[in-house]
Amino acid sequence: MQNDKVEYLSPDAWRQWHTELLQSTVNRAWDRIPFYRKAMEEAGVTKDDIASLDDISRLPFTTRDDLSLNYPYGLFSVPLRDIVRIHTLRSAQANPIALGYTESDLRHRRALSARFLSACGVTPDDIVQICLDPGMSNIWQDIREGAEQIGALVIPPDSISTGARLRVLADFKTTVLVTTPSYGLHLLSCLMREDVPVASLSLKNAVLVGETLTEETRSRLEDGFSVDTWSGYGIFEALGAGMAYECSQRSGLHLAMDHFIPEIINPETGRQLPPGEPGELVITTVTARANPLIRFRTGDITSIVTEPCECGRTTWRMMPVSGHCDNLVSLRGIRISPEYIANFIAERAGGVRLPCLMILRRRDHLMTMELRIAIGVENFSGSLPELHRWIREVEQAFEETIGVACRVKPVEAASIQDRVPAESGIGVVEERS
Amino acid sequence: MPFCLRIDKNMLTIRNLYTKYGPVSVLKNISLHVDQGDIVCLIGANGAGKTTLLLTVSGLIRPEKGEILLEGKRLNGLSPEKIVAMGVSHSPEGRQVFAPLTVLENLKLGAYPRGRAAASEIMEDLEEVFELFPRLRERQGQLAGTLSGGEQQMLAMGRAMMARPRLLLLDEPSLGLAPKLVDVIMETIVTLNSRGMTVLLVEQNASKALEIANRGYVLETGRIILQGPASDLAEDSEVRRAYLGRDYDSVSERTGPCSRV
Repeated sequence: MQNDKVEYLSPDAWRQWHTELLQSTVNRAWDRIPFYRKAMEEAGVTKDDIASLDDISRLPFTTRDDLSLNYPYGLFSVPLRDIVRIHTLRSAQANPIALGYTESDLRHRRALSARFLSACGVTPDDIVQICLDPGMSNIWQDIREGAEQIGALVIPPDSISTGARLRVLADFKTTVLVTTPSYGLHLLSCLMREDVPVASLSLKNAVLVGETLTEETRSRLEDGFSVDTWSGYGIFEALGAGMAYECSQRSGLHLAMDHFIPEIINPETGRQLPPGEPGELVITTVTARANPLIRFRTGDITSIVTEPCECGRTTWRMMPVSGHCDNLVSLRGIRISPEYIANFIAERAGGVRLPCLMILRRRDHLMTMELRIAIGVENFSGSLPELHRWIREVEQAFEETIGVACRVKPVEAASIQDRVPAESGIGVVEERS
Repeated sequence: MPFCLRIDKNMLTIRNLYTKYGPVSVLKNISLHVDQGDIVCLIGANGAGKTTLLLTVSGLIRPEKGEILLEGKRLNGLSPEKIVAMGVSHSPEGRQVFAPLTVLENLKLGAYPRGRAAASEIMEDLEEVFELFPRLRERQGQLAGTLSGGEQQMLAMGRAMMARPRLLLLDEPSLGLAPKLVDVIMETIVTLNSRGMTVLLVEQNASKALEIANRGYVLETGRIILQGPASDLAEDSEVRRAYLGRDYDSVSERTGPCSRV
């Protein structure tokens, strides 16, 4: 199927094609990945039970925990010599998550990212500046490669200050800004503070990833920067940045159905929901060679529209993500598991589980995090300077592993205990300003 | 629904096809499609079921269950003659030309299912076959059994074309041919395709097949395990290793605990 026409297939053709792809994916997974075979056997499904797309609902789910429990090679479906890249992600479990890519996986990822950016109007004449936190490096690398494939000039997010980024924006006549909605607003307010006239910039398009783009933020960014805005959706475990993207109609994000089959389920019962109903997005990758994912639970709440779009594309559309049904905390587009933070602190406290409270608040549009850790005489015997040194070390380690800064504050247990559930030892509070 | 471009004109659609030889399952849950104007190739090891698939489409083997549709019309259950009359021609593996008959007689037999079609029409088609394969014109009076392998292949394809098919099934057209002749046959397939013929091609010579095809399917022990644009398959390391005979052990010896395929 040629890429240029794939987004315009008829519903019948999609059904046939998806059935074929689902069958071959299940055939490969069954033969090559013992984890999937076992899960399918336990669910009472065989390769012959997949007769149509509807049979996808008989297959078992895969979760982030499964990815981490099968670390390092458990979910690889090709020999290691076919793998040309491995990415590792942190996980709430003891093991990290390792994802492998064959050459064709990388090619698909690049092509998807390029298609996403093309849909946002990026051409070889554009100068694309990416402003994302280091913690989102996986996604910005996808975007960089996609923009390079188009032939655009790319300015990746080097670690310079916001002020310096604004200078680059003006001096290099950036035409496309890629960032998160909140960082976009932050840039806008810095711009106004420094009194840089928007007319002096060359921006035409803003591509917003990592967080849900609300209509309010969209119009503030469009008016403020005098640009068109485009939003994209991607999860790193699957196909990265170009998994869903807006077209000129701005009526939902077109799903890259040539690479995965989307479903919406009720997160509590696991039952598949009909088009239009909100629920958890579940995806089955159908072209992935190294790490095929069968019914992977994204944790993102959205709904799907299956009718063809006014733009002519027949790919289904997902609505902006309206929430999450996993317990991950979103910090500037970076998803963090509180459980991971609790383990992270315990590791640095010599194995002692200290009650913690994550406080999220917006400062100048950007979400910031403060981590309050209950430290008392019963669990800390050192001097005050030692305590301060330890706090600084934790802050540094946090920024290194998570990719975003965090303020750590020692507090008395009594001051946070009503907001920290006893069983997990970590609480999350979002303060509205 | 606002509108929907119909760009995927379907020629052949197969859904959940199962075929048995006696008690042995040969094709298991096969689904595939061939769009109008496409060259689609099937690749796979010996015994994977490629030939059986073609034989099932042309009605020479009855499927156990499943659906075979030609432009939406059901083919399974129909006799081979009916299927030929509906526009599917099969050029079988090993040519299978009628050895004691002349080249011309073989070609005319290919037009047999057309019944009382105008003789002038058949002469036109004969002319087209001769134009594609000038060698056959030179040898039209010769007994088919005395032709070389390459010439017999040309004859088998020419005979299949005489039925005026819309879908041509080609089974191993390059088998046993010298490399130069393989190129001639492949070029002819491309020429035929550019004139509007849809082709489903089975080939041992996977690299040649992937060169001329738009899309491909990989069969493994009776099941499809991979499909995609031919260019993608040609670059897939697993396909290269298993079917294109290009291993890169010499480049790298990376092995891991999952080094089984």
